[in-house]
Amino acid sequence: MTITRRKVLKGSSAVLLSSLAAPHILKAQATEYVFGASLPMTGPYATAGQLVAPVFKMFEVLTNQSGGIKGTPIRTFVEDSGYVPQNALANYQRAKAKEKNMVHYFGDSTGFMKLVAPELKGENAILMGSTSFSSDLANPSNNPYQYLAGPTYQDQFDIILQAIKAEGGKKVAFIYANNEFGRDPLEHGRKKAKELGIEVVLEESTKAQGADIPTHVTKLAQSNAEYCILQGYVTGVWPQLIGGARKFGLPTKFMGTFWGMEKLVADKVTAQAGPFLDGYSGVMHYKYFYDRDQNSRYETYAAFAKKAFAGTPLENYLPTWALAGLCSLEMAKLAIEKTIEGGKDLSPDNLSASLGNIKNWDSGGFFGSNVDVVDNKIGVGRIYTYSAETKLFTPSSEWLAV
Amino acid sequence: MIVGELKSNYASDEFIWDNIYKKLFLIGCIIFLILLPFFSNDYVILLASRMLIILTAVVGVNVVMGYAGQMSLGHAAFIAIGAYVTCIFYNLTEGFIPLGIMPLISIPLSMLLAALAGLIVGLPSLRVKGIYLAVATLSANFIIIFIIEQPFLSQWTGGLVGIDSPNPNLFGWDMDTKREKYWLVMPIAVFLLLFAQNLFQTKIGRAFIAIRDSDYSAEILGISLYNYKLLSFAISAAYCGAAGALWAYFFARILPEQFELLLSLQLVVALIVGGLGRTMGPVLGVILVLLVPELIKMVFGMIPSDGFSIEKIRAPLQEITFGVLIIGFILFEPLGLVAITDRLFRFLNRWPFAQ
Repeated sequence: MTITRRKVLKGSSAVLLSSLAAPHILKAQATEYVFGASLPMTGPYATAGQLVAPVFKMFEVLTNQSGGIKGTPIRTFVEDSGYVPQNALANYQRAKAKEKNMVHYFGDSTGFMKLVAPELKGENAILMGSTSFSSDLANPSNNPYQYLAGPTYQDQFDIILQAIKAEGGKKVAFIYANNEFGRDPLEHGRKKAKELGIEVVLEESTKAQGADIPTHVTKLAQSNAEYCILQGYVTGVWPQLIGGARKFGLPTKFMGTFWGMEKLVADKVTAQAGPFLDGYSGVMHYKYFYDRDQNSRYETYAAFAKKAFAGTPLENYLPTWALAGLCSLEMAKLAIEKTIEGGKDLSPDNLSASLGNIKNWDSGGFFGSNVDVVDNKIGVGRIYTYSAETKLFTPSSEWLAV
Repeated sequence: MIVGELKSNYASDEFIWDNIYKKLFLIGCIIFLILLPFFSNDYVILLASRMLIILTAVVGVNVVMGYAGQMSLGHAAFIAIGAYVTCIFYNLTEGFIPLGIMPLISIPLSMLLAALAGLIVGLPSLRVKGIYLAVATLSANFIIIFIIEQPFLSQWTGGLVGIDSPNPNLFGWDMDTKREKYWLVMPIAVFLLLFAQNLFQTKIGRAFIAIRDSDYSAEILGISLYNYKLLSFAISAAYCGAAGALWAYFFARILPEQFELLLSLQLVVALIVGGLGRTMGPVLGVILVLLVPELIKMVFGMIPSDGFSIEKIRAPLQEITFGVLIIGFILFEPLGLVAITDRLFRFLNRWPFAQ
């Protein structure tokens, strides 16, 4: 064959064009989809992180057993943040540099989500769920890639305050952890309480682990609050604050938002310190794991957990914190599937658009009915009340949309 | 046989780098920092910038603790002042002051206001010493955070939920990526480190050292304890103010809880582990406190995981390993990591006659 100048030009042009297109071809032919996460495996919220981490691997195994996402296997990994936003940011950047097929990241705190939000642009963008239900995150115009697997803390305060109003409550106290998580819904809560004619008689901040609680009990007693909403705690304050209030003879009814509504913690506190949590209530947007329908996604999780988590607290019951992680992952999976079905590449913009188009989603048991994603959140919830006798949180309201 | 450095005149005594290997090391480090963005990913840039910001603050703590011998556990407060002043100044003057010169004003302003706060926090040093002074300075953390979180100031400080920070802009260069912001952080951090090294060749630096070694003797020699103790706090706080300003420019948002006691303790730990009263002490300390945990994380990340049992113990093991390392360094090298590098440079300089 004679090599002519034209052949050389044609050949080199073809090589050049194919090399330009190569990254896109490689992107389309991902051998796996990677889901990364930062969780507080140490530090003040380690209890939650330790319970949530294993379900990421469960999600991976179950998804791969059912053929991956549209035939492509997935992989998950979890790293410790210690609940320090800068550490989580470093984890994210490290993962972004290392994992070329990462399609989703799960953040561990409101602080991290806010810290990383302005960074999510161009090559650094990714679809991002989190443990946080911060109100600022449910804002697609500012944070198009961040979403919530439930209602915001403000929505949760709305639901609680409406429940208080319905019970004829007039005076409420807000006790909150002195961090981003604890402070999130306060301003909105004040406005909403005023709107509903409820007086906020006390606003008290504490350390996340709940130090110096007796002082706060005294202030609560002086405030004569009928209801006290706790915000920003995972395990820290129930024994000291609610137990202390009961010892003090206070009739105040305590209520909590998502992270303060976990049965495992309530059971442990009841076993160790007595039945003072009886009647404690709050807002929860998932059905508890023991409240599952046949052939639901919860049943699949339960069958897996029975074997894989034998001998651990997760064997027969997945905490609500783990359900939040799973729901977030299921939403991301659905967004990926919708994007692939639409024939689009898995860019953060396309994934974000697909996530925003989730309507009438049969979540397989997470929520009471089919739900929509609106403003990157799912605005439903329900009041549950704990019984120290049955050791169950049972519904005390219908599902409320906000 | 080379047994030491021969200094035959005062000029040679004032040389900052008395050893060719140290000179080469410094030049190598600067070349490395300049080239770093060209071969690093965003993660390395983030880590390097974070280390340089904390390094600036630890150099400041070194001025007051390492050189002047005054204990302080409140320096996170000065970083907070620097960070918040930068954000507030930007928000108040946006539109009046050209964006391109904003960092040139806001960083010195942050340093100045932090220095003023340092003067106030340093006042107890005139009456108490040692751990008593540490306890007195501890309050700075709580007071500053308390002020920042006050609702009546929240329109400026963001109150409890923090505040978005501006992107730096230098003469029209809008630095909106971490990689670009590195070019603001790195030169300032290196300049301030070298400035601190030079400070201790001056009258002020020697006065600090005299006070550290014996404050009564220093006073008898004519050194005003009142002036120099307060000056050490002011200079130290100014360094932390600069670190705060860089922090605000580098991270997209600042939250009050980022500047609590834990940060002050981190600065002190970095300094003690690295080596008090030495220029390289803060550098090595920051490497150990910020870089080593990341390396440990990477090493432990290589352990094959079944996803269920390893994940639970991996993170606590990382913490324990880091704790053991810190204890080990303090136990086996109480003078700090800098003593190890000293031995290395001494060996190189005197080879083959000394080991």
